[in-house]
Amino acid sequence: MHTQVKYYHPYISPFDPCPPIRVKSYQTPPNLYLGFQPPNLEQYPPKQALYCGTLWPALFSPYPNPQGRDEYE
Amino acid sequence: MNKQMPQEFYELLEEIQVVDFVLVELTLYLDTHPHDYNAIQQFNECAKQSKQLKKQYEQQYGPLRQYGMSYSSYPWNWGDAPWPWQV
Repeated sequence: MHTQVKYYHPYISPFDPCPPIRVKSYQTPPNLYLGFQPPNLEQYPPKQALYCGTLWPALFSPYPNPQGRDEYE
Repeated sequence: MNKQMPQEFYELLEEIQVVDFVLVELTLYLDTHPHDYNAIQQFNECAKQSKQLKKQYEQQYGPLRQYGMSYSSYPWNWGDAPWPWQV
């Protein structure tokens, strides 16, 4: 299974004027990895589909808040 | 005059929202899968369900859409509150 968020560490120059952002993150929802959607995928019940934002559990992503970024702490 | 809408009003609107969301998802899916018979069947079932729900809503709370998409009640009251953003 693919992770929903990925992180990387940018290069930090000694001459950076501002406090460095050590960890950066980006969202990787499942649709990036699915390619062409196969037919007859399993579906959510309609009411849950509305609140999950998609009809198919395979494509659902909570778009989590990245914890790795230290500027939030 | 602060008109309070009954609870069923909100439940019915939510049901319409649920069915319409499924229709949106199926439309996008069918755009890329035109030969998926099961999805088309589900789409038609949901379309019928959506029509029924909207008819039920319009009988109780007046027109939902304009320009002939909904029948009008008497008097001409599509401008009455609550508007979609006031719901």
